[in-house]
Amino acid sequence: MAEIRQYKGIKHYLVIIVLISITVIMMIPLFYIVNTSFRPWAEIKSYPPKLVYEPSIGSYIRVFTARTVYPSGTTPSDEELAAMTWYEQIVYKDTNEEVVRRGDFPKRYANSLLISITTTLLTVILGTIAAYGFSRFKVRGEGNLLFFILSTRMLPPVIVVIPVFLMYRTVGLNDSYIGLILLYTAFNVSFAVWVLKGFIDEIPREYEEAAMVDGYTRWETFRKVVLPQSVTGIAATAVFVFIFSWNEYAFAFLLTRNTAQTVPAWLPYQMGVLGYDWGAAAAGSVLFLIPAMILTILLRKHLVRGISFGAIRK
Amino acid sequence: MKKVLLLALALALALVFSVSFIFAGGAQESAADEDQFITIHWAQWAPADYLQKLSEGFTAETGIKVIVEQTPWETFVQKYNVEMIARSDAWDIIVGDSQDLGNMADSGHYVDLTKFFNDNGLKNKFTESSVAAYAEYPAKSGKYWGIPAEGDCLGWAYRKDLFEKPENAAAFKAKYGYKLDVPKNWDEMLDIAEFFHDPDNGFYGISIYGDNGYDSLVMFAEQMIWTYGGDLGDYATGQVLGILNTPESAAGLKRYKELFQFVPPAFNDAFFVKANDAFTAGIVPMTCNYYAFLPALANNATNPYADGTDYFACPPQKGADGIIRQYSALGGQGASVITYSKKKDLAMKWMEWFIRDDVQMEWARIGGYSCSKTVLDSDTFLNAAPYNPAFAESLNIMKDFWSHPDYGELMEIAARTLGNYIIRDNGTAEEALQACAEEWDAVINK
Amino acid sequence: MKKTMNNLSGPLNRQMSDTVFVRLCILPVIILLIVINIFPLFYSLILSFTEYSARKAFSPEFIGNANYRDLLTDPTVWVRFVTTAKYVVMSVAGEMILGFSIALLLQEKFRGRGVLQTLLVLPMTMSPVIVGLMWKLFMDPNWGMFNYLLGLGRIDWASNPDINLYAIVIADIWMWTPFVMLLSIAGLSAVPQSLYEAAEIDRASWWFKFTRITLPMVSPLLMIALIFRVMEAFKVFDVPMGISGTGSSAPPLIAMKLYKDTFLTWKTGYGSALGYIVLLIVIAITSIFVKYLNKAKQED
Repeated sequence: MAEIRQYKGIKHYLVIIVLISITVIMMIPLFYIVNTSFRPWAEIKSYPPKLVYEPSIGSYIRVFTARTVYPSGTTPSDEELAAMTWYEQIVYKDTNEEVVRRGDFPKRYANSLLISITTTLLTVILGTIAAYGFSRFKVRGEGNLLFFILSTRMLPPVIVVIPVFLMYRTVGLNDSYIGLILLYTAFNVSFAVWVLKGFIDEIPREYEEAAMVDGYTRWETFRKVVLPQSVTGIAATAVFVFIFSWNEYAFAFLLTRNTAQTVPAWLPYQMGVLGYDWGAAAAGSVLFLIPAMILTILLRKHLVRGISFGAIRK
Repeated sequence: MKKVLLLALALALALVFSVSFIFAGGAQESAADEDQFITIHWAQWAPADYLQKLSEGFTAETGIKVIVEQTPWETFVQKYNVEMIARSDAWDIIVGDSQDLGNMADSGHYVDLTKFFNDNGLKNKFTESSVAAYAEYPAKSGKYWGIPAEGDCLGWAYRKDLFEKPENAAAFKAKYGYKLDVPKNWDEMLDIAEFFHDPDNGFYGISIYGDNGYDSLVMFAEQMIWTYGGDLGDYATGQVLGILNTPESAAGLKRYKELFQFVPPAFNDAFFVKANDAFTAGIVPMTCNYYAFLPALANNATNPYADGTDYFACPPQKGADGIIRQYSALGGQGASVITYSKKKDLAMKWMEWFIRDDVQMEWARIGGYSCSKTVLDSDTFLNAAPYNPAFAESLNIMKDFWSHPDYGELMEIAARTLGNYIIRDNGTAEEALQACAEEWDAVINK
Repeated sequence: MKKTMNNLSGPLNRQMSDTVFVRLCILPVIILLIVINIFPLFYSLILSFTEYSARKAFSPEFIGNANYRDLLTDPTVWVRFVTTAKYVVMSVAGEMILGFSIALLLQEKFRGRGVLQTLLVLPMTMSPVIVGLMWKLFMDPNWGMFNYLLGLGRIDWASNPDINLYAIVIADIWMWTPFVMLLSIAGLSAVPQSLYEAAEIDRASWWFKFTRITLPMVSPLLMIALIFRVMEAFKVFDVPMGISGTGSSAPPLIAMKLYKDTFLTWKTGYGSALGYIVLLIVIAITSIFVKYLNKAKQED
């Protein structure tokens, strides 16, 4: 008996060690991005990589600013140096550049937030209602309709983007918030309906029946009985929809120009006169990761339980 | 339920926050509505910021605000083409790619600037090659559609410190029989690349473009073809066969291929980013790149070897016929006024201001590449940056790709067929040129 | 489960009939999909039979099935389909095996398990285009750290046409294993403990429990993970574009050609035809999977 217990103990720790190793390996690329964002310009390309270096926040400042390089031979005078703000001094010290203006990053970031949050809310609302409809009522041609809804997710973005572009051009939706939000919602609602129908299928109907006997209308039943029990499914759906619209590249890249441009359509192009700014791209990536990461961490408990797709019977 | 409420509340707050964020940003822009302003469209890169900075002078003089709208390079040309088809008045001026001039002029998107050009004597104000590339279409027609804004072509940076190192100089002299110096022709270029190539120690002979996703490989190839006495075709008549597929063109392409043996690993997709990265990483003695990207190499903060770096223009080559030719592939952009703009008068005011000598001088001083002869000849310019003398020399030898309305397709064909030989190592130079010539002929003379 | 609640309608529903209610539920979604997805789909179906370039001023010219004929007789297109199939099989298989294995390991209870699980999900929350960009830097033989950490020589992962397909597979597996892992955990967590306890009494082997209890219970969710991953992997272009660019040394993936035809050379009609071929293939594959999924669901 003692032997068995010991064996179990070894297995237990072995599993933990394996899991920790996997996690560490999976984290290396992420760590590499963070590490790159703090490396000074020339350090990023040193090989073999120096393990010890003086970290700099210069990359973070560069992603927020537009700059010009001091023409070679000219340097700012002492008074000019003294008049510089702290971040201008860092930029000057790091890359010998002069800050011209604040960059577009905050605006792109705000666009990303606005578009992703609105898309998420809209998708979840539409998706929940439709999923409830499919789950609780016999809809004629339900199987076909559901497959049709799913199949819209199979479209390669480039096949719809030209017609969407032409259509949006006619109605003036190119480079607009509404245009991107509608598009993202349409592309995500299929996923949402699938996940949520599965989830709502699992909720016992007895509560609803009881509520309706108590005189609730259909809508009240949905709102007061079904909705609270669907929280987990809704949360999981919201995370996935948010991640998709937050990170979407193809449509954002092709359908926006300035007003509604999001971070993924802007961040990869850190092309300054000093060449490609890997540091600024890495710094922007780190900052861009944060919202999706926070959302995932906050809703992690719902994430697993919410995506059962109705494929599990309890 | 509480959690849902909390979540919804948090989301709503974030929404309000971001909306106000945007309107705060938008408020500044809408302030411009009350004033007069023009919008200039250019690619997303530092020179566009220079132009924004330069235009402050224009605003100070006239009170007309200037907004420089920037689009990533990868989609820049596509985007303005699509907007133009829709007759969009989003911009008043486009600083557009030189190869696209024909397409834009033909489709009526650009305003005919011939009168403006002649009245101001611009033909003699800017260098001949820049007028041909950024302003005139069709070739030699005397019709002008733009003004040279950012001149650019391929030039070279090299590690003077390594070239002058006594061991290197002695070893080179012993092996090749002449002094290790800036290459005076493309044979010497090959020798130098071979001499420095030492992959076992992580050092390589040369850095040249290898990417054929868009125009990079074609730019280097066309320059080699011209230098060796070949040509891409007759831009005026559209004849390709018998002009592109010649032994001279093949000789140029073969030299490209020979040089390509000495590039660092992973140069099959190298364009301007990697060319500079390799140089600043200290793994090549010389790199070819557009002048627009050379400031990075002169900057101590971004290039540890900046003090030992010097520059030269593309060298000449004596052809099989005994004639010496020298060419540099042209990049760069010209500024043109949009037909659909509602503020053409203001746009023209900006154009008039931009061609002024003092503005051109300031443009060069803050980092733009002016094509004005006065600027290029001035000592102030030649001494302003270490690469400026090489740039001034290059501006006289630069030549452009087709400005055919279908140049995009021509570019794709050349990138594919020539890339097949240079980077994929399939077939011969003659076969690649033959394939390219036939496909080009089908597009141009359909 | 397929029973309906129609028996509840009638006198209890004071405001609207169920038919109206259900229509109100479903219609918004259907309308949105028709406007944003179906209309463009028809539009590009028509364009696929024409010669047309969205950047030129001329209007589409009807040329019958010439685009389809050109595409299906072009050997390079077939090479692209084969490469794409290889890519999909390798990356999805890798993700399924790794994701499911990690999920199995995570069944072990220990402190900090939640932390590990959350960390493991993170790659999935990144933007594919940024993943592509950063892996390119990571794998660069001249200054990246990938080769260095693995103790490999200067292997040119991104631009050597012989191996860069694997580079993309590696990045894709890194990014999407978490997705399979999440769905697997969801599936595993729903397996009733009582089944295992019963098997324990019968002294069933680990293998028996795994193949007779775990796999059948989890298979519907694994199937769903498979459907989504195959669908996405088939049309992925942002990660490959970031890693190996759009040149001819990049792996010949079908989505890459789609992107180039539509946006670099602007052969809109031709690109639409290719898009349709891709769409039909994805629908065919998916419907086979969905059939199996429904079967798997009915079995338990």
